[in-house]
Amino acid sequence: MKPINELIQQDGAIQDRSIYWDEDIYQKEMEHIFARCWLFLTHDSVIPETGDYQVTTMGEDNVIVARQKDGGLKAFVNSCTHRGNYVCFSEGGNARSFVCPYHGWAFGIDGELDDVPLEEQAYFNDIDKQSLGLQQVRVESYKGFIFGTFDLDAPSLVDYLGGMAWYIDSFMDVPGGMELIGPPMKSILNCNWKNPSENFIGDGYHVGWAHASALEIAGGALESMKGLNDYSPDSGLQVTVPEGHGFGVIWDAAAALHPGPPGIAYQKWLDQRSPIVREKLGKTREKFYNGHWDATIFPNCSFLYGTNTFKVWQPRGPRQIEVFTWTLVEKEMPEELQQMIHADNMLTFGTAGILESDDGENFENCTHANRGFATRQGRVYLGMARGRERTDAEMPGLVSDGWVNETSTRGMYRRWAELMQGTPWAKLSVTAKTDAYK
Amino acid sequence: MSVKIQQQAAGDVVDHITHFEVASFLTREARALDEERYHEWLDQMLTQDIVYQLPTEEVRYRRDKKVIGTAQTTYLYNDNHAVLSMRVARFDTGFLWAEDPPVRIRRYISNVDAMWAEVPGEVDVWSNFIVYRSRGQRDDSTMYGRRKDKLRKVDGQWRLAGRVITLDQRVILDKNVHCFF
Ligand code: FES
Ligand SMILES: [Fe+2]
Repeated sequence: MKPINELIQQDGAIQDRSIYWDEDIYQKEMEHIFARCWLFLTHDSVIPETGDYQVTTMGEDNVIVARQKDGGLKAFVNSCTHRGNYVCFSEGGNARSFVCPYHGWAFGIDGELDDVPLEEQAYFNDIDKQSLGLQQVRVESYKGFIFGTFDLDAPSLVDYLGGMAWYIDSFMDVPGGMELIGPPMKSILNCNWKNPSENFIGDGYHVGWAHASALEIAGGALESMKGLNDYSPDSGLQVTVPEGHGFGVIWDAAAALHPGPPGIAYQKWLDQRSPIVREKLGKTREKFYNGHWDATIFPNCSFLYGTNTFKVWQPRGPRQIEVFTWTLVEKEMPEELQQMIHADNMLTFGTAGILESDDGENFENCTHANRGFATRQGRVYLGMARGRERTDAEMPGLVSDGWVNETSTRGMYRRWAELMQGTPWAKLSVTAKTDAYK
Repeated sequence: MSVKIQQQAAGDVVDHITHFEVASFLTREARALDEERYHEWLDQMLTQDIVYQLPTEEVRYRRDKKVIGTAQTTYLYNDNHAVLSMRVARFDTGFLWAEDPPVRIRRYISNVDAMWAEVPGEVDVWSNFIVYRSRGQRDDSTMYGRRKDKLRKVDGQWRLAGRVITLDQRVILDKNVHCFF
């Protein structure tokens, strides 16, 4: 593995291709990124009642997150402390306990070891059950979005989100908040996890080209982008915060990928809610509320606000990911509108989605071209609009005009480099305070 | 010897002429799709009121039937004729980079079992499938599953009025299911 300052150069504008391919770099990512960062687990709306649980992964660690009797949350590693077997084989549901199928150890929904078969006759009551609970994961949630980390030294989730929290409040902080509709779609992509993360955080460039066929048939506001010949930098913005998160926004386009009646209903909803958002969060965030976003919460949780697809890219080795896809909706939206958005999300970004299939091919091929030894010695380039980033009196982080931009993508790689150097939390960059972000 | 075709009660196995017609229809349909004759499929093989669905099914314990949270049915396909037409129109744009060079798809349909449906003249048909896809020079995948179809005669010809597809993989072990089953 080359030194990190050779892997990422020029403020994140240059990536060494080995970072998309090499096993040793991937293992370092598991250690320095996936075992340290806050990773998305699930949402409050998915597991509302005692005993409701979901099984997911943090990096490649299999984890159960469960609603507790007191309404709180716990997450723990899905691996029996006796001989290591999984204790849960479903992907979610409602449980009173998790019983290991190997020798029958029973763990509570809090992960504690409750019952051991033949405790008296075979262990002679000489077993310290208290020390044999499932390995706990630190859990916190932000506006109903539940995250976990293995790192006890990590800052709180809200500090981890940093300046991004100010932006995501534009829609997460609406009355009633957001919820995720599931069950998620799940599929495999043979690509490195960073390819989709960088695409969602700030690849506005590909939209008009890669998705030309879908834009043509879907019509609507984005159709003019088709073939990349009509675009103005005034139409949007990119944002990056030092914590590595970021997004691009197209102004007034939240409903753009909902052609026909769903788009009309969604626009009506946005118009009706905008004054509430303005009142609560101010004019700037009202503008964000009405925009269409492509975003990533570092490292692997991405969403498109507006289209309302919500995804996690679960790493499965350097050249494979598992994709989970939910639909993001406002809790207070009429059910009929939620359904329309859910249907549109599946049609566009579901596993059979007409935009999803374009992206999957590109992600896989961007990874796999690096199999060539000579190819892998080279670099790839994210220099678009470099040097045009600026700070803003109100908006935290760095902003740059135009949603076809690579500002937020460079930000993601700067954070990647910082973390991969093993930088302690106290020395990692954080968003500077602004008048609005305190 | 002449075979008299008569409508039986719902749930009765169809007579062998109907079975033969239905099975032939499924084979012909599969070949039309294999050969990318999508417009013929839309115009001559589907009814206007078709409902074409592929729901996901969660991996849950047998005993655990509780619906949790916002869980609804998530469909990979939940299309009417207009949406299917839109998907086909996408092939015609000339911008569908992922399908150029063409993807080779081969559909194997078997285990056809047909019964008269509730609605007189309609037939419920179950079949299993293997769909093999080959892309580029050596990228390929195989998917297995089942379909429950509803067939109805329009102007004397069988047409597909409904299809519910079950894919046996929970995690789709391929980058997409961007093909008709
Ligand atoms: S491995 Fe779980 S009870 Fe033995
Ligand atoms: Fe895309």
